[in-house]
Amino acid sequence: MASEVTAKEKPGEHPVLWVARPMATAARQFAKSLFRPSTIVYPYERLENPEFRDRLEVASGKPFGVGQVWDNYRGVHALNIATCISCNLCAFSCPDVCIEMVSVPGGDPKHPKKCPQIDYGKCSYCGFCSDACPEGCLTMTTRYELSTPKRSEMIYSPEKLHEIFRSKLPMNPIRLARPENEDAILLDPPLCIGCNACSRDCPTQCITMLDIPKPEAKPGEKLPRRIWKEPVVNDSDCVRCGTCISVCPKECLFWGTRK
Amino acid sequence: MSNVTLYSVSYLLSDTVLRAIGSVLPRPLSAWITNADLITGIAVLVFGALLLAASMLNTIVLIWWERKLLGRFMDRRGAMHVGYAGLLQNFADGFKLFRKTTVQPRDADSLGFYTGPTAYMVTSMILFGILPISSGWNSGVLPLSLLLALAVFSFAPLFIFVSAWSSNNKYSLMGGMRSAAQMIAYEVPLLLAVVAVVIVAGSFDLTTIVYEQQNYWFWGPLVVALVVFFAGMLAEMERIPFDLPEAEAELVEGWNTEYGGMLFAFFMLADYLRALVGSILVVLLFLGGWTLPTWVPAALTSFPLAGIVWFMVKTYIVFGVFVWIRASLPRVRTDQLLRVGWNRMIPLSLLSVFLAALLVTVKCLPVFGCVPSLGV
Repeated sequence: MASEVTAKEKPGEHPVLWVARPMATAARQFAKSLFRPSTIVYPYERLENPEFRDRLEVASGKPFGVGQVWDNYRGVHALNIATCISCNLCAFSCPDVCIEMVSVPGGDPKHPKKCPQIDYGKCSYCGFCSDACPEGCLTMTTRYELSTPKRSEMIYSPEKLHEIFRSKLPMNPIRLARPENEDAILLDPPLCIGCNACSRDCPTQCITMLDIPKPEAKPGEKLPRRIWKEPVVNDSDCVRCGTCISVCPKECLFWGTRK
Repeated sequence: MSNVTLYSVSYLLSDTVLRAIGSVLPRPLSAWITNADLITGIAVLVFGALLLAASMLNTIVLIWWERKLLGRFMDRRGAMHVGYAGLLQNFADGFKLFRKTTVQPRDADSLGFYTGPTAYMVTSMILFGILPISSGWNSGVLPLSLLLALAVFSFAPLFIFVSAWSSNNKYSLMGGMRSAAQMIAYEVPLLLAVVAVVIVAGSFDLTTIVYEQQNYWFWGPLVVALVVFFAGMLAEMERIPFDLPEAEAELVEGWNTEYGGMLFAFFMLADYLRALVGSILVVLLFLGGWTLPTWVPAALTSFPLAGIVWFMVKTYIVFGVFVWIRASLPRVRTDQLLRVGWNRMIPLSLLSVFLAALLVTVKCLPVFGCVPSLGV
């Protein structure tokens, strides 16, 4: 009982102050939050509402314009179906395998247009798909409300993503700084049979089939059965999606650096 | 004040209903049912039911008041979704508790386990039959109503200890022991502070004590007694900073660890009933009860039921101060609690008794009365 006084009190302070000081603090807090506690009552109020501008500036550490959110906020995607070239790069780049390319109405009936469908139950909002998109048609918006009672409703069809695009939410096209892609599509000419599959499936139509001269068959030699055409890739239009490599039946296309 | 009293209201209700029933019944039955004795008897029952309903309703609203106030002290909102500003939240909580199973520990003593909370609740409710709420709004003239109220109020440690002991749990037992030690330690200064009020008022009747404060409220001359009474009430109500018996950080939930469902609701309700009684006692003894200072404009004191309205306003403000203390102070240790109780509170309460006696003997009380504009 000798050291009764707890350590927190300042020496020499009157015990009445041990009670009065915290009560004054509490009263000050009460007066401050009497009409407006700091709680943002979420379903009714949102942090992005203009009246919370000052708080957002504190949270993001930079000046904040009305109606905007953080520059790099990654929410639900917006998809512009009209500019999508069905290159499949978003699905390739997705680390969670949550993007599936599904057919959408429109386009060539023989080769239906395919756009990404995103399963938000799996999505980790990394933004790689938006980064990979060569046309800038898949962007990330500031929308973050996804809760639904059904798991199936977590899967957003391209049409639904297009609706989000049309709702004109603030969008953040994710563009990570990256080195210029040096790779190009190269051809191993002896293997090519000129089947046109690559040119047919190229989303940007940057592959043209050019005629090559049919060689004269030497006596005793049998010419290969093929179409005497060869793909030529226009590197400036190519988005490096790799569709041509995956559709090539003879595996004669490959990644390489053009000399 | 108006002439509407609790008894006249209940008599009117009983009279109206019984005569309405009697008017549609055949002759011999209607004569029997409108018999004056029966009407009076039913009126007494209605009287009790009204008191019970009013005390329960006030208790639940008091919990809401605490939740809202505590929210503001903690820079948040309290209950806000059910009903207007969350007023119905506690009814929903109560309904949830009502639906729950009561689980009894295997080795608990059934008798004590069930009678403990029930008796705690019932003794807390009896208090509302004793306390006057406004002029005419009490259950008759009780010359020793203050003494009776405090006697009933101090039943609590017994029932808490019975229920803690019979739940066969070490945390419950420790909480019960602490509760008994704390309540007994603070009973002494509490009663001594009341003695100071009784000396000044010259009566044990709460109604008389209130009317003695027509000219000056007792907190002016008896400020020491008020401080002691307030601290003692905090300890009796087991509220922070004196909530060691519950001390959820150390003792799970203290003496009501093993209670769930409706039995827990009994404890909860009884705790807040006692908090309400504590606030009411502070208002009655020190803050002039349902009266207002004489300089207040008559329009504020003459509307119907003005006494009850002002009484409730004062009670809720006093309870707000309890909440303020809860929001500010940390829980004390057992040794600190008992040291403050025996070493500080009892000398202070003796001092207040001495001061009260001095004030009465040298007849300087009118000093407070002759400056009515202060309104103390």
